[in-house]
Amino acid sequence: MRAKLWLLGLAGMAAGIAAVWLAAHGPSGRPTEPGPVLTLLVGASLLGSGLASWRARPENRLGPLMVATSFGWFAGLLTEAPGQALATIGTAIQYVWIAGFIVLILSFPSGRLERRVDRSLVAATLFLTTAFPIVAMLYGTGPGLRCPSCPHNPLDVFHDNTVSDHLLGLQRALGGVVIVIAMAVLARRWLRASAPRRREVTPVLVAGGATLVTLTATIVHDLVGDPLGSLPATIWFYTTATLPVAILAVFLRRRLARGGVAGLVVQLGESSGPAADLRDALSRALGDPSLELAFWYSAEDRYVSADGRPLALPGEPDTDRAATFVERDGQPIAVVLHDRALEHNAELVQSVCAAAGLALENERLHAELRARLAELQASRARLVEATDTERRRIERDLHDGTQQRLVSIAMSLGLLESRLPGEPGAAAPLVREAREALAAALQELRELTQGIHPPLLAERGLSAALEELCRRAPLPARAEIALERRFSDQIESAAYFFTSEALTNAAKHSHATEIAVTARCEGPTLVIEVADDGIGAAVIGGGSGLRGLADRVEALSGTMTLSSPPGRGTTLRAEIPCA
Amino acid sequence: MRVAVADDAVILREGLARLLEEAGFEVVGLACDGDELVALVDAHQPDVAIVDIRMPPTHTDEGLRAARLIRERWPATGILVLSQHVNPRYAIELLSNGTEGVGYLLKERVSDLAELSANVERIGHGGSVLDPAVVDQLVGRPRPGQNPLEHLTAREREVLALMAEGRSNRAIAEHLFVSEHTVEKHVKSIFGTLGLPPSADDHRRVLAVVTYLNAG
Repeated sequence: MRAKLWLLGLAGMAAGIAAVWLAAHGPSGRPTEPGPVLTLLVGASLLGSGLASWRARPENRLGPLMVATSFGWFAGLLTEAPGQALATIGTAIQYVWIAGFIVLILSFPSGRLERRVDRSLVAATLFLTTAFPIVAMLYGTGPGLRCPSCPHNPLDVFHDNTVSDHLLGLQRALGGVVIVIAMAVLARRWLRASAPRRREVTPVLVAGGATLVTLTATIVHDLVGDPLGSLPATIWFYTTATLPVAILAVFLRRRLARGGVAGLVVQLGESSGPAADLRDALSRALGDPSLELAFWYSAEDRYVSADGRPLALPGEPDTDRAATFVERDGQPIAVVLHDRALEHNAELVQSVCAAAGLALENERLHAELRARLAELQASRARLVEATDTERRRIERDLHDGTQQRLVSIAMSLGLLESRLPGEPGAAAPLVREAREALAAALQELRELTQGIHPPLLAERGLSAALEELCRRAPLPARAEIALERRFSDQIESAAYFFTSEALTNAAKHSHATEIAVTARCEGPTLVIEVADDGIGAAVIGGGSGLRGLADRVEALSGTMTLSSPPGRGTTLRAEIPCA
Repeated sequence: MRVAVADDAVILREGLARLLEEAGFEVVGLACDGDELVALVDAHQPDVAIVDIRMPPTHTDEGLRAARLIRERWPATGILVLSQHVNPRYAIELLSNGTEGVGYLLKERVSDLAELSANVERIGHGGSVLDPAVVDQLVGRPRPGQNPLEHLTAREREVLALMAEGRSNRAIAEHLFVSEHTVEKHVKSIFGTLGLPPSADDHRRVLAVVTYLNAG
């Protein structure tokens, strides 16, 4: 590898010396472009940056491509060669190196022409820089080789300089179009790029854009008859020399970015904060604000977010996001989801992940805990929901079935009673007795239904049911209900039974004279308070039924708080998320 | 007297019709939901429509909604609402637009044929009927030997009677040729004498009327 690069370097230097000599000793009587100084500057920039990039990033094609372009650049100077054959070849391939530059600009940073439009633009450039000059030479000699001491053009078959000049004019015009399209493609790519990608490509894009702009200016200047002489071309050549250096600079900066890993290690050592801190630290170290973390949840063989929620990893068709998996001792720990642009800098991502390994493992345990808690919460809510559903079903069955049948029997008994002859000692009193027993049974059934699932709650919702509860309370209860909407069945049931139980509790234990029930929405939270003016000193647990209330509220991710200072009343407060 | 019956349970609908016919009423038709009942009333304009509260399609308070509609469109048709539950709230809603020709009873009360026929007759003649269990929950039963109305002045009793007909303060003022302000003062005094404290949901007017009906 090193020997190969040395050899290439030596060969390039030899070609460069030859090219500079040619630039200095071209045929007299016409200005030589680009001249010895620029020949050396552009060539050395390409060759040096190419070799250095090749060494720094052997897997990237941009290094070899720059070296090849440098040879193309030097070969273009063959136009100045004294011999007829060399000068002819030189004229044919004089501008092939421009295609090399187009590839460099369009394929950065991967070194591959990933899109069809890129490949088409490169193909068009190659066609314009080879086919056109060769055909033009068949008709005549280009304007640059029409001096008395210039070598003869052996391809000149048709001897018609007008056609030749037109062909070369057309070549330049089409070249201008290709360059404008290339600039549009670059501009669109820049606008769509993510922050890390932009940060990465900026130097190359600036140098590449400047190269294309000055090239366009040179072409236009050429087409209008060279009023400014060689000035535009000179500026163009100077600009061109900056592109290889810019590419090399980006490659070397990636190496420098690894210095950020040390900063990360220090940062992780100092903080033991939550996952958000870890994410921020990694995001800073990798320069990717969109970075996300997911942690391995071994119980379900999948990745979850820091707060324990299931998370989808970017799939294959997702071209913007990439995932880097982190393992310890062969066990998956976490996955870092980042911008795909960072894939070109996999080593940095790997070293950052390695540095954060312990912190990630630590955070994974937290995430696993949260996932388990979330699961537990969900199963608790499901249990309560199942109970509620069952209660509603029982209430409906009693209403539509048993109660109706009993009422119907009562009706039949009523009918029977009215048809019995009114003889003394007859069946009438017995029927009446049966009817009354039936009425008592219905009364009991009604009370039972009320406790299972109050019909008013189903029919009119929480607001009405709470007001009714207060009306029926064994102690005077003041209701301040400010609920303007319905809630889910589970929330309404929980809120209802909370209030009902709290009222019963107050009547039984508090020795209160008055109770106040308030219900309102505070943002996304339903808040219910039951406050009495009794003796206080209530505790959760100890058979008060408060524990069961708390369970019901907590199953809906709510909280129940008890404030009961001795002698100063008891306030039970439930907060239930209802967004 | 002509009656229409609405209940989604066929067994109760038919049973009730049989009882009513036995008691000498003419049953003009049976309905299984609110819309059918409204159509029946529209076609036959019975003296009394007997309606179950919970019916299809939502199984919540269809019967009550149908009752409200019938009272608006055919004021001459009395309404007897039957319920399987004691629900004072529904009674208040029913009575808040006047108590003439309105009743609210628990379903099982229909098993006493004599009582049923007396209640339907009463509603048909513009009277009102309220289930004792509902009254109990609304205002409590009058203690024996104590009439809560006896502490009202004659004028206040007159105002309360007009309130029971569902009249507004303005209508009462016009009827008695006094100012609306005077009526308001009487009403306030009635609430105070009957011991009805101000509440957030101001049902005191209906509660006063219920007390009046209950004592009268």
